[in-house]
Amino acid sequence: MSARPQDAARVEAPPPLGARDALRPLAALIAKDLRLELRTRQTAVGMALFALITMVLFQFTVASRVDDATPFAGGIIWATLALTAVLAVSRAWAAEREGRVLDGLLVAPVSRGALLTAKACTIFVYMLALEIVVLPLAVVFFVEGASAGDLALAFAAAVLADLGIAALGSLVASLAAFARGRELLVPALFLPALLPVVIAAGGATHAVLGGAREVAEYQGYCLFLGVYAVVFTLVSYATYEYVFDD
Amino acid sequence: MTELATGGRRLVVTGTATAALLALSAVGIFLVAPEDADQGVIQRIFYYHVAIAITSLVAFGVAAIYGIRYLRTRRPEHDMVSVVAVGLGLFFSILVILTGSIWARASWGTWWVWEDPRLVTFLIVILLYSAYFMLRSSAEGERRARYSSIFAIAAFASVPLSFYSVRVAESFVHPVVFNSTGANMPDTMLVWFVVAQVAMLGLFLTLLQIELLQRRADDALKRLKLRLEGGV
Repeated sequence: MSARPQDAARVEAPPPLGARDALRPLAALIAKDLRLELRTRQTAVGMALFALITMVLFQFTVASRVDDATPFAGGIIWATLALTAVLAVSRAWAAEREGRVLDGLLVAPVSRGALLTAKACTIFVYMLALEIVVLPLAVVFFVEGASAGDLALAFAAAVLADLGIAALGSLVASLAAFARGRELLVPALFLPALLPVVIAAGGATHAVLGGAREVAEYQGYCLFLGVYAVVFTLVSYATYEYVFDD
Repeated sequence: MTELATGGRRLVVTGTATAALLALSAVGIFLVAPEDADQGVIQRIFYYHVAIAITSLVAFGVAAIYGIRYLRTRRPEHDMVSVVAVGLGLFFSILVILTGSIWARASWGTWWVWEDPRLVTFLIVILLYSAYFMLRSSAEGERRARYSSIFAIAAFASVPLSFYSVRVAESFVHPVVFNSTGANMPDTMLVWFVVAQVAMLGLFLTLLQIELLQRRADDALKRLKLRLEGGV
């Protein structure tokens, strides 16, 4: 049923929403992003190719200089993932910008929190998909004698790191969405703030794939990754209303 | 105009007190404080190095607090304080790197050591806050102040995380001046460290006042020009 013009003009306080109603726009926004990606496969394929090229670069600049690259694997994996995450963050609002629907989305009856959370979830899914490809490949390329259990632990640390990447990335992507020179701005804003994640995730990966399994070290780095994710989720939560306050 | 005159008078008081404290700290640190038995004369740079490092963190804290105040009130003067504080924080961070490098050269024979978590943290902080100015020049209108404020808050949240991550990743080669049990120095040294710290905070306050006064004077001049051009 279509609303009459006078109804549309009238401003009324919306009835209180249940949790399911509040989650519906969020689910719709995430589904929209993922459906668009499944149709075009532009970002995911681009990210996977970029990650592969970066690993080949690391092979010829670092790994080929040593007999066994296993001690460097954690660093190589996380330098690759961090650089590739820049693409996910840069492309977070690309579909809306290219389709010129950014302003339409902002005036839609969707909470600002849902917009930011949807972008965080999309970045999280992109990173997860990327790691499913990159981690086994990196183990094949750079690690000697890793077990499936080691790989699973490295993947668990990556999932924790992705929470922080998604929280920070969605904030940076939204700040850069309306700015000039966003191609330069996103890496400049994102990478320095992401360094703690790269250091901790690289450390955790090294602790399980670097030769000797260092469980205590791995747990410490994972705890740090969890703290980082909580801190940046809180920062995003405290500031999201102001990001889209136009 | 009255506001500018008050600010000017305040600046004279702060500037004079800071100059006196800087002179006193120089005399105390180089002529009165005892020489460190292990490190010799180069240890004296630590009085300034640590004081500058703490002052730069205070500056970034001020930037974050005024960022929050701007988001709440949308008063441009809060954004002005935030941006000036970030600029001064960057200036002090560069001084931290310079004084730390001088100490590293004298102690270890090299200008840079990646194993020193504090130096590396300040390098990350410089990169982080340099991006603040990129963001500022990329956004326009009211968004510029709003986005800058949000980033000042996020960047300040990232500083302790950067420090901790670098610290756990590297061995500890940097002398620890303060630990959980208190100051790691005798009282005769601590007195001059406190004087140097207050002097550095005074320097930050003086530079902040100079920059704010200049910006406010620029704004007042622009308003005056507009009034004269409008024939009011």
